[in-house]
Amino acid sequence: MLDVALVLASAGCWLAGALASAVPRVPERLATGLGLLGSLLALGAALHLLTGGPASGLDFRVWGFPARLELDALSAAFLLPLHLVGGLGLIYGQRYWPAQLAWGSGRSLRFFYGLLVAAMTLLFLARHGLVFLVAWELMAVSAFFLVGTEHEKPEVRRASWVYLACTHTGTLLLTALVILLAQRSGGLLWTALPASTSPWLEGGILLLAVAGFGFKAGLLPLHFWLPSAHASAPSHVSAILSAVMLKTGIYGILRVSTLLPDVPRGVGGTLLALGALTALYGVGNALAQRDYKRLLAYSSIENLGIIAMGVGLGWTGRATRDPWLMALGFGGAIFHIWNHALFKSLLFYGAGALLHATGTRDMEALGGLARKMPRTALAVFPAVLAVAALPPFNAFLSEWFLYRGLFASLGRGYPWSAALGLVGLALAGGLAAVAFARFFGTLFLGSPRSELAHHAHDPVPSMVLPMAVLAGLCLAVGLGAFLLLPLLDRVIAVLAPGAPALLAAGLRADFHRLAAVELGLLILVALGFRWLRGPVDAIPAAAQADLPTWDCGYAAPVVRAQYTGSSFADAWAPVQPGLRARMPRLRGLFPGAASFRQAFREPFGEVFLEPRLARLVERLLRFRRLQPGHLPVYLLYVLLTLLGILVWMLVRGRLLG
Amino acid sequence: MLQFLLHGLTALLLPPLLPGLIAKTKARMAGRKGPPVFQLYYDLAKLARKRAVFSRTTTWVFLAGPVGGVAAGLTASCLVPFGHTPAPVSFEGDVILFAYLFGLARFLTILSALDTGSSFEGMGAAREATFSALAEPALFLGFAALAKANASLSLGTMLAFPGSLATRFTGPLILILAGWVIVYLAENSRIPVDDPNTHLELTMIHEVMVLDHSGRPLALVLYGASLKLLVLGALILTPALPRAAHAWQNWLAFYLALGGLAVGVGLVESAMARFRMTKVPQFLVAGVLATGFAFLLLLV
Repeated sequence: MLDVALVLASAGCWLAGALASAVPRVPERLATGLGLLGSLLALGAALHLLTGGPASGLDFRVWGFPARLELDALSAAFLLPLHLVGGLGLIYGQRYWPAQLAWGSGRSLRFFYGLLVAAMTLLFLARHGLVFLVAWELMAVSAFFLVGTEHEKPEVRRASWVYLACTHTGTLLLTALVILLAQRSGGLLWTALPASTSPWLEGGILLLAVAGFGFKAGLLPLHFWLPSAHASAPSHVSAILSAVMLKTGIYGILRVSTLLPDVPRGVGGTLLALGALTALYGVGNALAQRDYKRLLAYSSIENLGIIAMGVGLGWTGRATRDPWLMALGFGGAIFHIWNHALFKSLLFYGAGALLHATGTRDMEALGGLARKMPRTALAVFPAVLAVAALPPFNAFLSEWFLYRGLFASLGRGYPWSAALGLVGLALAGGLAAVAFARFFGTLFLGSPRSELAHHAHDPVPSMVLPMAVLAGLCLAVGLGAFLLLPLLDRVIAVLAPGAPALLAAGLRADFHRLAAVELGLLILVALGFRWLRGPVDAIPAAAQADLPTWDCGYAAPVVRAQYTGSSFADAWAPVQPGLRARMPRLRGLFPGAASFRQAFREPFGEVFLEPRLARLVERLLRFRRLQPGHLPVYLLYVLLTLLGILVWMLVRGRLLG
Repeated sequence: MLQFLLHGLTALLLPPLLPGLIAKTKARMAGRKGPPVFQLYYDLAKLARKRAVFSRTTTWVFLAGPVGGVAAGLTASCLVPFGHTPAPVSFEGDVILFAYLFGLARFLTILSALDTGSSFEGMGAAREATFSALAEPALFLGFAALAKANASLSLGTMLAFPGSLATRFTGPLILILAGWVIVYLAENSRIPVDDPNTHLELTMIHEVMVLDHSGRPLALVLYGASLKLLVLGALILTPALPRAAHAWQNWLAFYLALGGLAVGVGLVESAMARFRMTKVPQFLVAGVLATGFAFLLLLV
């Protein structure tokens, strides 16, 4: 009771903060303080619940019908990243997007940011179809206004409209889902459904959930709104969209599956395969991006695919009553949700710092920023290693969970989906390493590629602090993950009722050894750096103060000859469907001037869907004649409809007997 | 305890011998006398006394490559059994950590190459990234096949494969080892994938990435490369070695096999030329196919 009240109070704080920031003359500190207070309240309640507090609920009535808010371990698992990233983003946004900015966008940004966090908090508590849908819509609409913060730019307007259309198509499916659930349970209250007679209905509900929530989670054919929306939004908003809002899709899928008495067998394997494809698609396209925020967005698609693989694995375990598969699959999914929230928001904060300092999102215009922005580079470095799932950082461990789960399912009679998942996960990890070596190498290393990078500087402390906190957490989770195992066990108990708490008992010893090995690695790294810094010969430091790169003896390097990000990933260009290049035709011994152009278009959304939709719209134009805009015509429609109904009423008795 | 001490000493001290053996074999095959077998030890001792030169574009990331390579290699050496002597650290799932430690070393090497801003080194980094992304599935599929055959995810159990097992598994095992030899040649930048002694930077893969390192960082780079020869070599040799009754016999067999592997690499390098750069992916994909086929054989 106390916990759920605390979380409600937190939502109230965020809402009050949002309202306060909308009113002129209210000091910004008040709004920020309210938001941070809300975050602390919710984080406290979620942690209290995950470390052993009982689940608590709050019953009330909506128009006479019973409704319920409840805080259980699953909700708490999602509240944790929401309020961590929400609170840090609030601090970061202070100076990243000053309130006094032109067009009043600073104020609307703050208002909708607070509203988004409050709506998502409510969403994770809702146990009632209508309350859930209202929270879902509030979230979707505030995200629309957030994405469109810079609505004076046409591409931003376009991105936000595409997002709005997608999210509402998803809501349409979710409405059908809520109705279907209400049919089954006889009310809008979300309680566990009785055992069913047909697996088709459950499969249908689950597929509808995957389709409806998949729009938000960016699963494969429904992902196309995501890259441009993330690229267009202000960076701390992109961080919360990527770290939490995409995960509300996963939350919805998981929540609906907990209501069902059973999960049909095929659904888990299907979701696993879909997740593997999504992961490969996301990381393959991330390799082709020049816009670094778009690259991060594609990497979010990859990570959501990995999370979906975990959920699919858990469902397979639930269908076959295999406690280890459930524990490793669901545990891996939840753990990866946390980890992705940490490193992806860190990456977006870093991207925001770059954008703030240089004003461009084009990787090829930057370079050498590790010298100009040493703090940012140092803070982003752990996230770059984490996103490539490299030890000793956090994401390595969640992928380790999934590897173990996939290997376990290999031995238990699901060889094909597990084999696909294994290959997908390994390949996605390898390609993510290439994509992020390119990201870090092009942006931070080498020498500056244009004037824009020359005047870059580290951001103010209020922007560095959130990055430092997240970087520390990435490392801390990587080393101290054994402390999180009991927390994961509690979440799994909600997702798979009756599953014993396996992780804390079964994996603790392995995690201790893993942590010891990683600690050994860190110690070796520290020793190595120490040894390199040791004094050697007595060459005065001045003798080697300002030397160019040796580069095989070519002492006059030109910046333009440097390897670019595009050339770094050029070997992969043939397998990237979205990358189109126009090659120059060179003929003869002395060819004239030539130019080479390369452009990226989103393979599904822009290449496949857009021309087809345009053709469809053209066909539908014919029906525009039905909308002439004259009042009498519409009155005629009303009359005709009434007549039609009258005829139907008369004839119905005869036709149906 | 003594075993672990010997394991650690082997991992620390033995690696620089392997490139010496390879070079000696190549020299003998070519009818030359060649450098002494211990040449790399002398080189390391010399480099450790020298001061490094840094370019004006480099940052601390430039040093992360050499340091990370050695640290990850030494850490990985604790996880892999040397012959049939168990590894010092072993747990369920350590094979994933093992594979990703090499990923970490490679990632840091690529970043430190990009840190110089040189187009040669960028080119090497891009090639390394591409080719290793092709070699990695072969390593993973081999692990998957062994894990399926042994129902275990611990390197110690997985690699203690032969001898006790039925003939049904020998075919897949040969395929896995064949695929891994390709990975071994590629990861250690050996002919026919890469030529560590070539003089033309345009054709290099790995060596071009470390052109700008000097002094102590270069010593770490060279040592890290030889460490990789040892650790990945142990991975290939262990399943192929017979299990002996006594610990010292196991050790002896391991050392002999390691020497044999180095000589074998030298023979391959003497016998064939390196592939054209466009052929390299095909060679690597052959490794993926071999291990993938082994995996399929074990699945059905």
